[in-house]
Amino acid sequence: MYYLGVDVGSVSTDFVLLNKNYHVIEHLYLKTNGKPIDAIKNGLSILGQTYNDKQILSVGITGSGRSVGGYILGADLVKNEITAHAVAALNIDKNVKTIIEIGGQDSKIIVLNNGIVVDFAMNTVCAAGTGSFLDRQAERMQIPIQEFGDYALKATLPLRIAGRCSVFAESDMIHKQAMGYNTPDIVAGLCDALVRNYLTNVAKGKDIQESIFFQGGVAANIGIKASFERSLGKKLYVPAHYGVMGAIGAAILSAETKKTNTSFRGFNTCLSSFNSTSLECQDCPNCCEVVTIMQDNNTLVGRFGDKCGKWSENNISASGDK
Amino acid sequence: MILTFPHMGNLYLAGKILLDALKIEYIIPPLSNKKSLEIGSSISPEEMCLPFKIMMGNYIQSIQQGADTILLVSSCGPCRFGEYSELQMRLLKKAGYSVKFILADLPDQLKSNDHICGLDALFNETSLSKPQITKAVLRGIRAMNIIDHLESKAHLYAGYEINRGESKKLLKNALSTAYSIDDPHGALAILNEYKTKMNHIQIDNNKSPLKIAIIGEIYTVIDSFSNLNIEEKLMDYGVSSSRKLTPSWWIKDSLLKLIKLNGIDVKRFSKDYLSYWVGGHGRECVAEAVMAHEEKYHGAIQIFPVGCMPEVVSKSILPSISRDKDFPIMSLVVDEMTGEAGYTTRIEAFLDLLERRNASCTI
Repeated sequence: MYYLGVDVGSVSTDFVLLNKNYHVIEHLYLKTNGKPIDAIKNGLSILGQTYNDKQILSVGITGSGRSVGGYILGADLVKNEITAHAVAALNIDKNVKTIIEIGGQDSKIIVLNNGIVVDFAMNTVCAAGTGSFLDRQAERMQIPIQEFGDYALKATLPLRIAGRCSVFAESDMIHKQAMGYNTPDIVAGLCDALVRNYLTNVAKGKDIQESIFFQGGVAANIGIKASFERSLGKKLYVPAHYGVMGAIGAAILSAETKKTNTSFRGFNTCLSSFNSTSLECQDCPNCCEVVTIMQDNNTLVGRFGDKCGKWSENNISASGDK
Repeated sequence: MILTFPHMGNLYLAGKILLDALKIEYIIPPLSNKKSLEIGSSISPEEMCLPFKIMMGNYIQSIQQGADTILLVSSCGPCRFGEYSELQMRLLKKAGYSVKFILADLPDQLKSNDHICGLDALFNETSLSKPQITKAVLRGIRAMNIIDHLESKAHLYAGYEINRGESKKLLKNALSTAYSIDDPHGALAILNEYKTKMNHIQIDNNKSPLKIAIIGEIYTVIDSFSNLNIEEKLMDYGVSSSRKLTPSWWIKDSLLKLIKLNGIDVKRFSKDYLSYWVGGHGRECVAEAVMAHEEKYHGAIQIFPVGCMPEVVSKSILPSISRDKDFPIMSLVVDEMTGEAGYTTRIEAFLDLLERRNASCTI
């Protein structure tokens, strides 16, 4: 009997199955590729080969695509990423004080005290220093993203690169490349720049105390981790399943919502086709962009995106969203 | 003269009642939406604040319907808002629109400009006698007060109401019904009627909902389009919210300023953290955070547009208040982005945080 957790993010869509002791039995890390619904279907079809509907006790979903995803999965719980990440980290270590989470498009800091989230912050208007930017730079420098961190560790002299804005960082790097500096030094400089940006922007004014968890896709990058440890003078702990912590949190939270039966729609949902049509509602000057999602062209999954509730009020209520 | 004015929350309704009472022809721009923002940003300086851009959109949408005069409340004001009138007039002229501005507090320096006039230009347009004008103005102010009252009650009751969603529905009905009536007397009567209804909503005083104070830059806290409907979202979550900055507060504050009696509370509550007026409503923001803590709110949310100088000052002071008083405060910066995902995540996580502090549990 398992708890299913899903995290629909900007870059990846993650699935985890937890057993009754909240141990990870199965985890999937799939690229979202801008099509969250397809990614969810894909994940369901992979899991459906090994598991059946009856084994699923509850389903929780988080991530930026959680509201629509929640309807498609029939999730028992829909929760924001911050709470989900905190719960997943607390499950490993009750004394965690700080969580640094860097994902595809957001970076967050979560401050906890006695197992309660007491403060958090997310990057505001700029995505410099997140996974997508690193991906892009790795691609541009023709370094496989998996080896990006190793390159940084080989550096002899990390170069100074402007990290405040991703566009400026890129021009700075191109300049340094043109000047003939070697790649590891540039990569290490970039890691330092991103960490500097994170600490002065996202984590500004926050008290970073041990133990510190580093999670999210970017935690795979040992260069960034080393750079954090150097600037903070503290050790960072990267949990084993750092990339799917959001999904783990969602699964745990779903397990803890008191509910007799799961509303999970089953693994066969992956066989359905989902079509979305959008329209601009003309009934008032808000001109909301309403999207309608249909399953197999005959069943209405839900309507989203309106402000007044005229379109979305008929949706079957997704549980737990707050 | 066909008058128009920019939007700011529900102020348009009070404006309509005032102009109906003054018997002046007017056009109310379509409620601020993506289109107005798009039009506005296309001719505004890129680094200008969000309210400026939305207002430009409002003007142009009105001008396209025939408006030729714009009514604005302030000039030479406390922050960039003080430059709005002149800058907006120049930009409109550049874009090929020739319009007049009527400013409520016209400074001497601008009097030589033919396209900027004081409030007397407005009153010259009406055929009413002076006492009648006074009566009309008072009626407009009365309408504004009632609308602010309705809003604040609805936001407060959202956490206590027995029938979930009742106060939100009542507020919406009040606004739309009153808007559909062109007779100022009738519209005011409708508002009064809804005021009574609002005061008689069934509430459960045993409930202890989360209570959040909304603080920050005045336009973005009042205007639901620019703050992505935060107050309505909080109402949907069953959270009680309140904000001190309202159009009524602004009028009262401006009048008291004339006799230097404004902001007594603000000075008192901000004295430990910010002892200067830093422009805009930066000092108010700091004071309101302290006040919210003393009034036993659970937390506060600060909202301001990108690049708002006064609020940037207060934003850097808020963490100290938060630390000293163990009082959670979250800052939200709004800009031209209308994607709500990240915004909703922050609000939801903040509510989770407040809830867990209240009663420690996993969910």
